[in-house]
Amino acid sequence: MALLELDQVHKHFGGLAAVNGVNVRADDGEILAIVGPNGAGKSTLLKLIVGLETPTRGAIRFAGQEITQAPPHRVRQMGIAMVQQTPRHFASMTALENVALGALFGRAGAHRQEEQALELAGEALSFVGLADRRHDLVGHLNLHEQRFLELARAIAGGPRLLALDEVMAGLNDTELEASIAIIRAIRDQFNMTIIWVEHVMKAVMSLAERVVVLDFGTILTEGLPAEVMRHPAVVKAYLGQEMNHA
Amino acid sequence: MIANILDGIVLGLQFGLLAVGLTLVYGLGGVLNLAHGQMAVAAAMVVALAQAAGLPIWLAAGLGLLAGGLMGLILDLTILRPVYRLRGEARVLLSLLLTLGVSFTVEGFLNWRYALGALSLRIGGGAVEILGVPMRRGSLAASAITLATFAALFLFFRYTSLGRAVRSVIEDQEGARLVGIYPHRMLRLILVLSGVLAALVAITRAMVTPIDVHSGLSITTFALIVTVVGGLGNVAGALLAGLILGIVNAVAADLIGTYISLIILLGAAALTILTRPAGLLGVRE
Repeated sequence: MALLELDQVHKHFGGLAAVNGVNVRADDGEILAIVGPNGAGKSTLLKLIVGLETPTRGAIRFAGQEITQAPPHRVRQMGIAMVQQTPRHFASMTALENVALGALFGRAGAHRQEEQALELAGEALSFVGLADRRHDLVGHLNLHEQRFLELARAIAGGPRLLALDEVMAGLNDTELEASIAIIRAIRDQFNMTIIWVEHVMKAVMSLAERVVVLDFGTILTEGLPAEVMRHPAVVKAYLGQEMNHA
Repeated sequence: MIANILDGIVLGLQFGLLAVGLTLVYGLGGVLNLAHGQMAVAAAMVVALAQAAGLPIWLAAGLGLLAGGLMGLILDLTILRPVYRLRGEARVLLSLLLTLGVSFTVEGFLNWRYALGALSLRIGGGAVEILGVPMRRGSLAASAITLATFAALFLFFRYTSLGRAVRSVIEDQEGARLVGIYPHRMLRLILVLSGVLAALVAITRAMVTPIDVHSGLSITTFALIVTVVGGLGNVAGALLAGLILGIVNAVAADLIGTYISLIILLGAAALTILTRPAGLLGVRE
């Protein structure tokens, strides 16, 4: 049974159809990459899943429950966490305090106490390798560390699905390898489903188990990474150049 | 001059606490509450009526604080509901108009029912000398309560998860929602806190000078000026601005005159907007 299902989802901004009748399903523990050219509707699709945008038409179901109209805080508490391309940390707080917010508020019915939240936050920071930076203000972390901090904040709430929006952008090769390893470890250790919008094709080929290609708000094709990348329509529409550069 | 500065500090602490409520509500929800002063006055009248009914001062003051918090909650549940449906400038403007209406309504009602009502809390005992200046015990008690409240607020926002949740919404509302925090719940909490703080300032101010049914406008005006100078959404800025403007007000009122001092304060607020739009301790976006 699919953990997440998008059924004929549309999102229109005025006359522009950013997402146009998309059907997507993600299974338990799957790493699903969503790729496509700029303006294909990938980030909008993630925002629809986490509640930052509401579909114009269609339905979104998570773990059998309808979440189409659910606000972001409710979606998060139901078990979907998101990490965005631009880190959205709280600059006046330490790394530990940032992650503790995720542990405390990120799960409905958990009723965690402050001490327990801080303990979970510490464990999450250790998992992503930031244990020794726990008392640093987040402004003192570099971009790569800030993204890991956001991953820690996401997993601290114990979600079942992690939505990642271009979290590999702007990283050097070493950082890219570390990010791929951490995301794989998150999936393996917590059996978390990962839906991941990405432009860095090298990372997609290395990590994704299934790929959905979007173009002009519709699905061009989907399947195993190697198959999708060879698909003539994909090569023609978008990926040919980038694949050659990857 | 030292006496003026000490008077200014007493007044400034209370200005600062008034502004904290206003600034947090704006920072969290983009709502500028122009009924803040009238909420303070209404709470003061509750204390005065409770005292007149024979209740001990601690119980009367408790009822006043409760009334302040209740008024914040009622604002959230009633008049502000249409405001929450709007965004940006429209939200600020509608909140200004609606809370201005609330301020007229509350002041009109108090003027009609308790035209001569006033709260004055006398604290007995002789004056206490500070830096060679005799200070009334009422002023010292008011300052001590205000300082203790600031310390409690600091501890709440710095060391509790609820306080950090409020700060997260002020810093990045969308980011807070993605963490699982419901911003409106935080705003409701802060509206109640804002009402309690307004009531506390009215009660402590009554230890220094009487609060009557017409005091609301001047309280709102002072709170607004301190909020602008301190930086919208900034608690530490409110304290600093309150102290500076309290001293400026006391010195100017003594050397020049009360009306001129208010013009000077308004000028300080205008100058702050021109030179530091984010306020004394604000960070420009």
